[in-house]
Amino acid sequence: MAEAKVLTEFYHLPEFQTLAGYKAKGGYETLPKALKMQPQQIIDEVKASGLRGRGGAGFPTGMKWGFLPKNGEPRYLLCNADEGEPGTFKDRMMMERAPHQLIEGMIISAFAIGSNKGYIYVRGEYVYPIECLNKAIKEAYAAGLLGKNILGSGFDFDLDVYRGAGAYICGEETGMISSLEGLKGQPKLKPPFPAVQGYLRKPTIVNNVETLAAVTYIIKDGAQAYRKHGTEKSAGTKLFSVSGNVMKPGNYEVPLGYPLMDLIMKECGGMKPGRRLKAIIPGGSSAPVLTAEEVAKANLDYESLAGLGTMLGSGAVIVMDDSQCMVDMLGVLTHFYAHESCGQCTPCREGTGWLNKILHSILEGRGRLQDIDLLIKVADNMKGKTICALSDAAALPVLSFVTKFRDEFEFYVREGRSKVKGTTYAEMHH
Amino acid sequence: MPKCTINGKEVEVKEGTSIIEAMQQSGDRIAHYCWHPGLSVAGVCRLCMVEIEGNPRVQIACNTMVTEGMKINNTSEKVRDAVKWGLDFHLINHPLDCPICDQAGECGLQDQYMEYGKYDPEMAEPKQKKHKVVDLGPTVVLDSERCILCSRCVRFTEEVSKTNELGIFNRGDRSEIGTHDGLELNNKYSLNTVDICPVGALTSKDFRFRQRVWYLKDAETVCNGCATGCSVKVYYNKEGFFRVKPVYNEKVNGHWMCDEGRDIYKFVNREHRLLKAQVRNASGWTEMTAGAAAKNANEVLKNASGDSLALVLTAQYTVEEFDAIVSTFVNEFKTKKVFFWINNKESFDNFDGLLLRGDKNPNTKGLLKVLEKHGITATWSDLSAGLANGSIKTIVVAGPENQAVFPDFAERVKELSKAQNLIWMQSGKNDALMSLTGNVWLIPMKSFVEKDGTFVNHAGLEQKFKKVTTVVSEALTLTEAALLLAGKNLAIPTTAQTFLPLNQREDQVALEARKKNEFVFRRGSL
Repeated sequence: MAEAKVLTEFYHLPEFQTLAGYKAKGGYETLPKALKMQPQQIIDEVKASGLRGRGGAGFPTGMKWGFLPKNGEPRYLLCNADEGEPGTFKDRMMMERAPHQLIEGMIISAFAIGSNKGYIYVRGEYVYPIECLNKAIKEAYAAGLLGKNILGSGFDFDLDVYRGAGAYICGEETGMISSLEGLKGQPKLKPPFPAVQGYLRKPTIVNNVETLAAVTYIIKDGAQAYRKHGTEKSAGTKLFSVSGNVMKPGNYEVPLGYPLMDLIMKECGGMKPGRRLKAIIPGGSSAPVLTAEEVAKANLDYESLAGLGTMLGSGAVIVMDDSQCMVDMLGVLTHFYAHESCGQCTPCREGTGWLNKILHSILEGRGRLQDIDLLIKVADNMKGKTICALSDAAALPVLSFVTKFRDEFEFYVREGRSKVKGTTYAEMHH
Repeated sequence: MPKCTINGKEVEVKEGTSIIEAMQQSGDRIAHYCWHPGLSVAGVCRLCMVEIEGNPRVQIACNTMVTEGMKINNTSEKVRDAVKWGLDFHLINHPLDCPICDQAGECGLQDQYMEYGKYDPEMAEPKQKKHKVVDLGPTVVLDSERCILCSRCVRFTEEVSKTNELGIFNRGDRSEIGTHDGLELNNKYSLNTVDICPVGALTSKDFRFRQRVWYLKDAETVCNGCATGCSVKVYYNKEGFFRVKPVYNEKVNGHWMCDEGRDIYKFVNREHRLLKAQVRNASGWTEMTAGAAAKNANEVLKNASGDSLALVLTAQYTVEEFDAIVSTFVNEFKTKKVFFWINNKESFDNFDGLLLRGDKNPNTKGLLKVLEKHGITATWSDLSAGLANGSIKTIVVAGPENQAVFPDFAERVKELSKAQNLIWMQSGKNDALMSLTGNVWLIPMKSFVEKDGTFVNHAGLEQKFKKVTTVVSEALTLTEAALLLAGKNLAIPTTAQTFLPLNQREDQVALEARKKNEFVFRRGSL
């Protein structure tokens, strides 16, 4: 099994970014076909394809669309391009290299769900992708692919890019809706779910960039063609953004079910010379870490990774070799989550800060042995106790790092320095 | 009507009832800081955890609706552990300054600690320091370090006062409540944010540090600040009244009251009161008891019956008092010259859409009803004409308790003092009255907390209230005054001990020095 280029086949072509270049490779050929279908047919096709949300949660896309009330109320389609999870950078490439692919996917999806208004919510730091999207949207409007009566079908769809201010939590769908509504980016209580009451209290579908881009392929070649890739329960291909201690970090599209070790050794050129694989976070920084032994057994699909107690998440594979200090690494993660917690729910607001303080006490040589168990206790009590999953995202790495690499934490507490690097935190960072 | 089981008890609730509401209905205690029945559900404090049979994870009770057959408990080890940890998260950055915190004795966090805490703290890290004594506006002070970010105050300004001054700024454990740029918390309902703050983060500038709450007694009554007639609780001790808070009344004020209404306690305290009657004649002012002054006035009144005698009423007395005095004038003194002194005419009919009414009298409807019952149709112009042509020689006035809402007070005093004899009854002191010359009787009256009675609010709702205590022992009710003015003999019981509690709930702490932390009190652990 090798790379399967369903989405990224033409990403190496600079002209694919433009309307002409995209059209030259068959772009916007699926749209007229889709606009002649019944919306329910599109939804059924997406359901049949087994496409699951590529943003992290992995919820079946067609099923999510099916939750929309059938009452003719105005509804919105939001593209989640916030991409704030450390290690994740696949959507950025899609927006830069193939903005029209996303736009076409959004028009088809909007037609399917009956939405006349869509937004692409992009994190504020993504200046160039925003520029690419805006250019492409302008081109699409000029070509009659967006706006009123698209391709004479009678279907209207307007699309805008919304630039977020750069908060991790705005990647959570209800946090994104709050932000889009002009409020502080804070998640909302569910129920009601966005499909029932979302943006401006209207039914709203939030899908990831990769998910929406895949819709075009599914409608073009059919659900079965999509299902040829991947596994029974994890159909299709997936983009993995690989970072860390590998020879060739970058984005790779492989079929779901692809062995994780193959991704590292074959696609990414393996570890750096003289280095051994130590651990991998397979699905963005919120996913529990896998040891090298576990990595050998892991396939890149939802079920295999869940079986190993971790998750596919956004597909951000963070690779660590034997030079990596796990205490230091966890210190970076806890600092990130403490910084990004929106502050709404108490266990998350206080817990992320608490974890960060304990970790930094250890890193700065003030740790106590009981702090290691305290980290576990605090993280355990943050899990599943909040409105959104940020609390879990902060807790899961702590639980997995401390459990799987406890010796490094104990060494650090006892010696006041890293077992791996042999240096103190101050020496490591200065 | 779904039926559910809460801690082993079967409870039937209305469709759409949340678990937390069902638990309140069943009398089960449940911790909650962010949930407030008058506000939207935020679900952020994560303390109202319950276990629902068949659900592996504990759930929040505020945002989970009761469904048929649901089995709920909040006493299991799993829930207690979740709540204990919830409390830990609340406390890690909260200063343990209960001895100086104004909320001590009324603090939800303190109550929770007594129930779930009493363990060794695990937080060894330095606390996140936040701002202290943040001046939010003319009425409220914020101690940000004590704030647990329940967002009740923010939701209040968004949903109830709709003034949107407050927000939560910054993220994570650096989050703090504050006012938006260029704004201060300055709306007509701002002090409700203090009432709903579950900890000591928001405090009232008026009440802050003036009393420890466990040295206060409280009693329910009806606000006499305007025609809405909010249900309120007044807090007092032997030193006087200290604050007023709203009491939930679905028909009148819901959970709230206005800031203006909170000032009503001030007019009740002794320092603002007329403590003794003052009677003035050609030889100057003489001090006497209220009863004696009223009897003394009878000498004048009995010779002034008929059209030369007028009665002026402000709508600040009870229905029973109006009935007594108007009956006396109509039946004993044979006059129907009874006049309604309407204050602030320009804004009398105003309404702010929530609670505050331009009519600053608690009983306008009650007064009008009594006047109608006695067939009284006299208008103020009749009075002015009578004074101008000298036909009205003697006037009895039942003046207002809250003189501040009678902007024409001095003007009316001047107008009414044209009469040969002016018998003025009211509870407060007033310089304009003391500077009068001629024949004047100033008779001290009881305030609304010192008597039983009925107010009829703007909507015609009759609200009975009970006497809270005595502040000015010798002061009269209008009913007593009516009898004395009519020459009847009446024993006015006086007491040397004022501020004794008379209107208390059964479960209320009775002793002045007993700590008013009711949870602790019920457990008897002090």
